[in-house]
This record gives sequence, structure tokens and C-alpha cells, in this order.
Amino acid sequence: MNMEIEIEKLSFEQAMNMLENIVKDLEDEKISLEESIKKFEIGVKLSSFCLEKLNEAEKKIEELTRTDNGKLITKDLNISE
Amino acid sequence: MELINSNNSFFLNPEDIYTVSRLNFEIKRNLENNFFNIFLEGEVSNFYCHNNKHFYFDLKDEYSKIKVVMFYDANKNLNFEIKDGLHLILSGYVSVYEKRGEYQFVANFAQPAGIGSLLLAFEQLKAKLKDKGYFDDVFKKPIPVLPKKIGAVTSTGGAVIKDIISVMSKRFDNFHLIVRNVNVQGPSSSEEICQAIDDLCEYGVDVIIIARGGGSLEDLWAFNTEAVAEKVFKCNIPVISAVGHETDFTICDFVADIRAATPSVAASIVVPDKNELTSKILLLFEKIKKSVADKIIHYKKDLNYLVNRRVFKNPMVLLTSRWQDYDLTVKRLIENINDLIGFKKSNLTQLVKLLSIGKIKNNIRFKQTVVINLSGKLKILINIRINELKNKIKTILQNIHANSPISVLEKGFSLVMDNSQKVIIKSLKQVEIGDEIKVFLHDGILLSRILDIIKNKLKF
Repeated sequence: MNMEIEIEKLSFEQAMNMLENIVKDLEDEKISLEESIKKFEIGVKLSSFCLEKLNEAEKKIEELTRTDNGKLITKDLNISE
Repeated sequence: MELINSNNSFFLNPEDIYTVSRLNFEIKRNLENNFFNIFLEGEVSNFYCHNNKHFYFDLKDEYSKIKVVMFYDANKNLNFEIKDGLHLILSGYVSVYEKRGEYQFVANFAQPAGIGSLLLAFEQLKAKLKDKGYFDDVFKKPIPVLPKKIGAVTSTGGAVIKDIISVMSKRFDNFHLIVRNVNVQGPSSSEEICQAIDDLCEYGVDVIIIARGGGSLEDLWAFNTEAVAEKVFKCNIPVISAVGHETDFTICDFVADIRAATPSVAASIVVPDKNELTSKILLLFEKIKKSVADKIIHYKKDLNYLVNRRVFKNPMVLLTSRWQDYDLTVKRLIENINDLIGFKKSNLTQLVKLLSIGKIKNNIRFKQTVVINLSGKLKILINIRINELKNKIKTILQNIHANSPISVLEKGFSLVMDNSQKVIIKSLKQVEIGDEIKVFLHDGILLSRILDIIKNKLKF
């Protein structure tokens, strides 16, 4: 349960690193079956988390400006391509 | 004209006499008229910047030198630093500092000889910031792999922003770009770039791209200013600098966390290839699946092997061998107990023999005669020892008597003490005429008074 909460807090890089480490751990023959099942479950969660992260953002191209009273605002930037 | 008469004094009209002030003034007017707006080339030495920011230095060539002053109004626009050893071309005029009667060159403008002032300024700032450690690798921040918000400082009007967007779109279909529009050249450019970096930091982005297309050193100048360099160096968000073409280097490039050769390259550094990342994640996932599956197959084999062992197929085998073990153990136990009982029995009969009454009586009789013998011997030994001690005591008492002061008194000597019997009188000095003293003889004491003191050494 703890693991789940922590995964949500990871950055994409951290999750990718963890995933790569799990692959390495699982390829080690000395690991117990119980341990490998645990790691497998975390690995599944991490890979779906990473895939989600890739699709999380919405495409936006904006321009940042300041209003007359000095407030920062963004508006869509339209550039003819 | 005869100036000196026979009395050695001047005959002059007072108007013909120059005052010092007037002479200096006229020299000044002459020099300023004759050397107005000239160019002067030479090497700087003794450079000194006064508190009020006016520059003072000497300009010299192989044979000669002249004092130069460059007032703040003129020097504030210089983009490079004047230092000793620098070869300069100055424009200005010659003037006289009348207060001291010194002439000097007043420079309105200065530029390096042989090299463009911008290039010199670039080199000077580069060297200065390098010394301060602004380009050191230890300060380079890593660029996040998947930035949520990408900031860009560039002109929204040019081709650069189009290139950036185009590259990003190809690599990642759902990126989030926030552009802060700035003039990328012109007098306000440097200040605008600094403000844009501040704004993006305040708004909150994960990485900042500073981008501009190619151009001359002059065009790119805003990216070579100390203000922009400071801002980029102190920025807490990773900065990628992509200014100019591949061959153009700016100070901003050196200070930034990464220098990208072009704005397109910067875009591809910041935005990952989504397809590549997706397949990488899927590959890792496949590897995890495979290694766990392999492991399960491996354990299944082990399990099969175990399940097929004889004990599991025919558990009675295990039981029969245990029965045998049991029987053997019981047999051994009974044998051991019998042995133990036999041993204890023989021990017991021996003890009974030892305790037979006749033997005990004989034993007592024998011990009694031994005791009687011993006590007789002991009495004799004690008597001998007592006699020895008696003789020893006698000798000691005789010794004591021979050495005691009383035996000395018996021989005819006497002891003289003061009346309180505390001090033995050994010398005439201890008494005075009329003192009472006590004279001790072996059979009593004489109470005496000193009648006279006769000093004399005794001779026998």
C-alpha cells in the first residue's frame, strides 16, 4: 500500500530509474520468488505510471505577458506555421 | 628694446606683464584651438578610476607620454574595460588644467586599436566570468527528462519560435510551451531578456530555452552582456542557450546549463521523443514479465522434482524405517539399564565388607596407642623449649641491668637535673648561682643549691 502512494509522488525520471533497477533486480537469479512477485507488482505499477505521465500533459502553446497592473497571465499563442 | 637699466630693474608698462593665470589661460586657448577634435593613438598606463567615475591614465608610445582624462559622461558608454597595456585610439582635444599648469588630453571617445571594441568587450567579459567560475561544470544543472512546462525566451515574431514548435511537435504531441516574447536585439534587449527570465521563474516552468537566430556580433550583443550572464547564472531553473548559428558563441552559451547549437537542437534536447520513451517503457515491462515468468517456470520444475520423490509417493517407506529405529532404541535402553544395575550391586557388597565391626574395633585400638605415644613426645619437647626460653630471658635481664643508668650510678656517678626534673644539666651554661637542682645517686636524691660556678675542663 505504501508503495502505491510513493509511486504517485515520483517524477518521471525517478520512476524510470526505479523501473530500470527492478529489471536488473529481477534478472538476478538469487532473488526469491516472493520477492520477485513483489517487485513484479511494483514494476507493473511503475510502467503504467510512466506511460500515464507521457500522456498526462495537454498540448498547449502559450504566451506569457504582464497585465498593466503587473500580473502575469498566459494566453494562447497563435503562430502561422 | 632696452629692458634693463643701470639699476638692474624693469621699465615696463604694467599691461605688458603676464600673470601666471593669464599665461595658462592663453596657452589653454591656443592649445584647445590648435588641437581641437583630433585622434590620438597609444598604450594605456597608470590607469586610475576616481571615486566620481572619471578615468585618469597616461597614453604613451616608445618615446613619449601624455596625461589623459576621460570624464564619466564619456566613459559610461564604453562596452569594454580600459586597462593598463591596452592599445587605444582616442578622440578628443588637448586642454590645460590651469590650476596646476598641466596640459592633458581630454578623451570623448575610445576604441581598441586593431580589434573591434565589441570583440574586446566580449573577450574581457568572458575572461572575467570564467575567473569568477560562472562557466564551471559544477554549477551546471541537469535538464529534466520530461519537463511539464517549458519556458522559452525569444521573439514570437521570428522563424526561431516556429522551428522550436515544429521540432517539439514532431517529437511529442502533447508538450506545454510558454513563450515570453522579447526583442532579441536593440538597446532594450538585454534588459528584456533578464525580465523574461524572472517572469518565467515567477510563473514556474521546469526548463528555460533562450533562443535567437544567427547574426553579427553586434546583433547578438544582448546575449553577451554581463546582466544576462548574471541572470542566467543565478537562475534556479535549468537554462538552455541556443543563440545564433552553430559557429556563433555567446557569453550566454557559456553560462547556460547546456549550449544548444541551434534553437531546433534546443527543442530536441528539452522535449524527449515520445515514441522512443514509450517503447523503452514497454520493453522494460516485457523484461519484468519475462523474468518473473522464467522464475515461475523454474520453481515449477523444482516442485515437480520434489513431488515425484519416493517419500511423497509412498510415505509408508518413511514409517517402516522409523519403526526399526524405535525397536533398536528400546533394545539398547533395556541393555543399558541391566548393565547399570549389575554395577551398582557389586559396589554395594564391597561397602558392606568394609563396614564389618571387628575391623572397626581393631582400628580404634591402633589409633589409641598412636595418640598416647604422640602425647608423651609432645610433653618432652615442650619442657625442652620452656628451659630454652627461661635461659634466654635470664641473659636478657642481665644485659638490661648492666646497661641501665642505675648501674652507672652504683659505680659512683651521679645525675644532675633541674628542680622540675625535666632537663638533665650537662653544662654550666644551664644554671646560675642560687638555682636549686637535684642530684640523683643510686640510693636517693640530694636537693642542692648552687653556691658558685667554676668554669674548668675536667681532667683525670
